[in-house]
Amino acid sequence: MSFEVFRDVAKPILAGFGITARRLAKPKATVQYPEERREQFPRTRWRHVLTRYDSGLERCIGCSLCAGACPARCIYVEAAENTDQERYSPGERYAVRYEINMLRCIFCGYCQEACPTGAIVLRKDFELANYEREDFIYTKEMLLEARRPEPVAH
Amino acid sequence: MAAAVQTETVAITINDIELHVPKGELIVESVKRLGLEIPIFCYHPRMKPVGMCRMCLVEVGFKQPDGSVRKMPKPQAGCTLPASEGMVVYTDTEMVHRDRKGVLEFLLINHPLDCPICDRGGECPLQNNTLAYGPSTSRFLEVKRHLPKAYPLSEYVTLDLERCIQCGRCVRFTEEISGDSQLAFRFRGASMQPSTFQLTDFESRFSGNVIEICPVGALTSSKYRFRARPWDLETRPGLCTLTPCGTNVFYDYRSGRLVRINGRTNEDVNEEWTSDTTKFGHDALYNNPNRIQVPHVREGEAFRAVEWSEAYAAVLGACEGKRTAVLAGTMLSNEDYYAWQALARTALATNHLDLRWQKTLLPASQMLKARTGLPGVQYGIADLENALAILVFGTNLAADQPMSYLRTRKAWFRNGARVVVAHHEASEAESFAHVVLRYRPGTAAELAAGLANLLAPELADATRIATPEWTEAQTGVPADRLREAAEALRGTEFAAITTHGLFDEANGVTAYQTLALLTSHAGGKFNGLVNHANEQGGREMGFAPDLGPGGEAVTAGMNTAEILQAAAKGEIDTLILVGCDPIRDFPDTALATQALENVANLVLVDSAQTEACAYASAILPMALPAERDGTYTSSERRVQRMERILKAPGESKAPWQIAMELGLRAGSSAPYFHARDVMDAIAEQVPAYAGARYQDIPETGVRLANPEGLTRSNDAVVQALQSLLGGR
Repeated sequence: MSFEVFRDVAKPILAGFGITARRLAKPKATVQYPEERREQFPRTRWRHVLTRYDSGLERCIGCSLCAGACPARCIYVEAAENTDQERYSPGERYAVRYEINMLRCIFCGYCQEACPTGAIVLRKDFELANYEREDFIYTKEMLLEARRPEPVAH
Repeated sequence: MAAAVQTETVAITINDIELHVPKGELIVESVKRLGLEIPIFCYHPRMKPVGMCRMCLVEVGFKQPDGSVRKMPKPQAGCTLPASEGMVVYTDTEMVHRDRKGVLEFLLINHPLDCPICDRGGECPLQNNTLAYGPSTSRFLEVKRHLPKAYPLSEYVTLDLERCIQCGRCVRFTEEISGDSQLAFRFRGASMQPSTFQLTDFESRFSGNVIEICPVGALTSSKYRFRARPWDLETRPGLCTLTPCGTNVFYDYRSGRLVRINGRTNEDVNEEWTSDTTKFGHDALYNNPNRIQVPHVREGEAFRAVEWSEAYAAVLGACEGKRTAVLAGTMLSNEDYYAWQALARTALATNHLDLRWQKTLLPASQMLKARTGLPGVQYGIADLENALAILVFGTNLAADQPMSYLRTRKAWFRNGARVVVAHHEASEAESFAHVVLRYRPGTAAELAAGLANLLAPELADATRIATPEWTEAQTGVPADRLREAAEALRGTEFAAITTHGLFDEANGVTAYQTLALLTSHAGGKFNGLVNHANEQGGREMGFAPDLGPGGEAVTAGMNTAEILQAAAKGEIDTLILVGCDPIRDFPDTALATQALENVANLVLVDSAQTEACAYASAILPMALPAERDGTYTSSERRVQRMERILKAPGESKAPWQIAMELGLRAGSSAPYFHARDVMDAIAEQVPAYAGARYQDIPETGVRLANPEGLTRSNDAVVQALQSLLGGR
């Protein structure tokens, strides 16, 4: 083995293995997704959720301010009037349709900022892949937070 | 606005800029001359100022002989302050800013700030003024006033008392503009509330306007409630096609669906007002769940959806060599009427076409022009404002001609015009009438003769018998009242208004023509207006059994009633209905039903399913007025243009297009590619419309002039009067 071959081929390879060997001892930067998940930053903005009050009523009042603030124009809201028999939110107005086109959404969070009742929030669920384009239109039923289970009486 | 006649001007100074304004002009208007703005709530340019909201406070002073300015110690309300010589106004000083902040803070103390759910949010003067001039925070920690929310004042108007800032615009509107005085303030001071007197329904033909002039969301539309926010809406200018007035409106739509109608300013027609028919009537039309999407032809008991070509072939097959008649609704555009009458008279070879749906259908030879030489429409809606006296005859003006009604009332309210109302039943116009002539139903002609007896000596031969005393005996109108009415009209260039609805009264035609003639002799101007949307345009386009385009005489065909009678007897093979349903539109429902039953081929061109569909052999979907380009002629003969606003559902086509494509297949029509081309053809054939080509129609529309050199003739009417009165 000539000196040139050692210098140009074997030495860099050995140096590379050396780095690998040194890194083996350090903590891992990657995680075994999806089995393992990394904790997200507190202000991460991903999938929208329409939240509820503790009473179970929807926070959303269908005011369309989120749609007005949305720079991607991906929110569509249709409002209707609450009745005493059929009450969805406190006050007079609730959203009868609430749709977000997730293909258009740029996750800027302006909707959350505009919302006067804190109804729409961007939470940390980022796994939004899907097979059909139509499935990216998130409806109110998909966005709405599940009702909290009734507290068990002791 | 009236032309500037020698007005005295005064020199005032606004923000150190000197200018001359008419003496007595309100400061709030004067500042607009400089392109400045004073925030306002209660002030409305079309109503009297009241100075209730104090939003328009300005600093005012007067120039002293030594050139210095002596300021008033307190700010003044710009909306109640008339300009006077040497006045110095500041709209932008520290003090004014502080005052505005203070006023807004007070107004917001009890305002609920439920803007997110308020229909006014986003187009709210209170929001805008607060943002521009108000404080950024509130110091009010106490509990706000709580009052009923969403109280239904009427079918159309919802009242939210918490939001009211007591500006009084709505109350003043009903007092000053619509005149029904339905709204008033109950209670005083902080508990002041606008409402109806006895908490009854807010019954007005113009109630929708208070929604638009309310500077907060206190009065909102029950029909538009929660349907959209202003930023969701797209807005385009359009026209009302439900009333004959040609009211200018905005169509607000969301995702292609009409959600509301708002008034659009046109000083010559509606100023900025709308009638409730206009404001709330279009919704059911455009959002009808039963809109027809594609052409259908009958197959046995059921309909089969077909291509246009097949539908056309079916229609032409049904018309070829058959006895055919065409009936049209009153909401089509001029282009539609022109194209359909051309099709009917060439390819279908028939003169049996009509668009009138009232009981009395005059042949051309019996009409006003043929019998007296007078045109039926002699002045415009805006001219009413300057009339010194107005005679409203045989019509419920507010219902039939809402915009003429508002102008009539304005003439009385602003200029003290004397209004004489003659009708056989109570109507809104009586509330401000100088004299009310309530005649017994069916005696309109006798009353007209009685008026002619007093006002038109030229007709003395015919009306000699019709002395006030005789008229009292005949009509029940006291003789003194009649004399008083004649006195109010005599010597003025009064305006007489009636409508074609008068024809349906006993001897109504004679009454109508006598009225026209006596008005002409007494130096007045006469308007006999049509009562349906574009009836005027349709008739001028020649959609009439005995009149061609521009009123040229043609071989007379059958009118609506005759067509239906013939159809009922089976003497019509093919009946084409364009945008009409005889069962709904014709007064004699039984005859209409029988007619549709006995017609072999019933071709329907309509936008939505009607009762007539049950009898149809072919149905062609028609686009509604806002879904296509077109021009419309209002009852005052103003031609206005509406561009396409909404998308027509399915495969709907404009009626003129349907007529043109049928004509092309029958080898008789010229190919028009756009409604503009039809209008060009109209302009060539109808002299009056020469100035109404698409590129020539101004934004406010063009009012057609009457031809010069018409000669008045008394004979026909005198004869009719003599035979009527002589028979008594």
